[in-house]
Amino acid sequence: MIKRISAVTAALALATVGFIVPAQAATTEADCGTAGAFCVGLVTDLGKVDDKSFNQASWDGAKAGAAKAGGFSKYIETTDSKDYAKNIALFADKGYNVIVTVGFLMGDATAAAGVKYPKIKFIGVDQFNASTATNVTGLIFDEDKAGFLAGYLAGYLTKTNKIGGVFGMKEVLPVRKFGEGFENGIAYAGKERSKKIKSTVVYHAAGDNAFSDPAWGATTANQLLTQGFDIIFGAGGSTGNGALGKVAQKAGALCIGVDIDQYYTVPEAKSCIVTSAEKKLTLGVSTLVAQAKAATIKGGNYVGEVGLSPFHDLSSKVPAVVKVRLKKITTGVLAGSVSTGFKG
Amino acid sequence: MKMLSKRNGYFLVAILATGFFYFNGSDVTTSVYATGTVFALPLALAAMVGIMCERTGIVNIGIEGTMLLSAFVAFFVSSLTQNIIIGLIAAIFTGSMMGLILAVMAVSWRMDQIIAGTIINILATGLTSFLYVQGRTIPGVFQSFEIPILSKIPFFGPVLFIHGALTFAGIIIILALYVAIYHTTWGLRSRAVGEHPSSADTAGVSVVRLRYINVTIAGAIGALAGAYLSLELVGSFERGFTAGKGFTALALMIFGRWNPLGALAAAMFFGLAQAYANQLMIDQIVNIPSQFTAALPYIMTIVVLTISAGKVRPPAAEGQPYEKGQA
Repeated sequence: MIKRISAVTAALALATVGFIVPAQAATTEADCGTAGAFCVGLVTDLGKVDDKSFNQASWDGAKAGAAKAGGFSKYIETTDSKDYAKNIALFADKGYNVIVTVGFLMGDATAAAGVKYPKIKFIGVDQFNASTATNVTGLIFDEDKAGFLAGYLAGYLTKTNKIGGVFGMKEVLPVRKFGEGFENGIAYAGKERSKKIKSTVVYHAAGDNAFSDPAWGATTANQLLTQGFDIIFGAGGSTGNGALGKVAQKAGALCIGVDIDQYYTVPEAKSCIVTSAEKKLTLGVSTLVAQAKAATIKGGNYVGEVGLSPFHDLSSKVPAVVKVRLKKITTGVLAGSVSTGFKG
Repeated sequence: MKMLSKRNGYFLVAILATGFFYFNGSDVTTSVYATGTVFALPLALAAMVGIMCERTGIVNIGIEGTMLLSAFVAFFVSSLTQNIIIGLIAAIFTGSMMGLILAVMAVSWRMDQIIAGTIINILATGLTSFLYVQGRTIPGVFQSFEIPILSKIPFFGPVLFIHGALTFAGIIIILALYVAIYHTTWGLRSRAVGEHPSSADTAGVSVVRLRYINVTIAGAIGALAGAYLSLELVGSFERGFTAGKGFTALALMIFGRWNPLGALAAAMFFGLAQAYANQLMIDQIVNIPSQFTAALPYIMTIVVLTISAGKVRPPAAEGQPYEKGQA
């Protein structure tokens, strides 16, 4: 009887912390912590692992990295931001080798866990790591570069010379980097074309729903569309996705996705997504997992790749000369010879 | 019956006028007010759910859940059948059922109504998170169209008469509810049941029956608010889609003193404040930190409420289960 009660309690405790789903059964979780076993655990930020965005791309990377190393991988979905530390501990206490934590907001919890579990390698996706710990690596991106390129392209494609952005909350650094890079890219293109292009970025109010308010995103996108803005950059979880969907309803208007190639993940906006300002999350995570396996991983921060996604169906809307110019500026921006103007 | 206190009314007019002159760039002004209307509509409709329930004495804090599950059903049924009309019907059925469930819990079982509403919210969050699958699309949305002649009126035309079918349905429901509550037998009986059920019972009104009917219809209105979000405004569904609108609506209901037109005015005020906030960021005329502009709607609401709300009085029998023979 006592056994049964404790089983029920354990199940309940598990349910409140999050759902745990194993990815593959080659190595089992029971092997974790033993010599030779390689186990990768991933803790999602608030939201599900199939969120068409951050969590999903990071999990793909963790899974791929673990599979390549012949290891085991598993994720926990965080349902409450108070559970960050608890969820990390679930993996740490089982002797996982690598723990990937997803999202800017989990930065503090990851740093604390790094101190508590010095033998485990932590990879913090989108977390700038300010510590000198050698077992914590922040996977960061130059969002301003991706935003700049998106803005540059938009600056060449706009017909009304008005370009807008519908964003999540400004307090999240990567969001602001996207925004400033975007506006600077537009200005750069405007200068080249000797045209005055109006650019603006509207941020959602800070709060729990900043990245999960598609109705606000759609309404704000509509406000911009009715004022003659013809290209809209939607960046901020499902808030941004709401904006993309709205732009798709207006003939002739274009939209730009964010983080991953949203042509594949926001089907309702396929008709307007000309590109996405991409952070190569999957590549970054799998690279770091491989480094952890090879024991070559360093602390500090690892800067992942950024870039624009393919134009897909709208390739014909982008004139050949613009493609050539974009290619040239992409090389310059990624190499650092063209400044994105982001001041921090 | 006053829908707003005088001071409250002056305040609203002053703020609306200020915005009107500030953004007076014709097209921009119209766009801001049209956007305000779009922000306001789902909130106003959700407030109607609260009004219908509370006027008959049932507290409904399950509006958020009703909207969420209905938006979900609207989207996925539309996607499966590739027909948004069927999706809409399915959503309205879902909303009515959720209303009915609340009625069973609150009226027949005499449960604590806050708990009953919470159950609905938890149920909706759980079901929609669990059953959600990504990658589905619907064949289209309820497109905006112009109402002939009326849409040509300067300013008011584009603000009020160029919308999708569900917006118009929503506006009609709000106006109809106002007339129904204050000018029909049904309305009088409903209010009586919400104020003093035992007297209404003595006068031959079936308290239980009326509460059942009203709460169920209210559920259907909540479904319309949810379906509006997924089938007209956004055209998709995501987890946590309603983002707290059902709770904001409860505040607007109180702000509007349980009067449909009052709640509509309150929702318009809040919606316009959001549109102003966006416009300040779009124009970048004054360099105010975006954190402040983004918080503007909430600050304005708090200020107006504190200065001018005065004393509000909910229906007297609100939240109390009715038992025959007890006064």
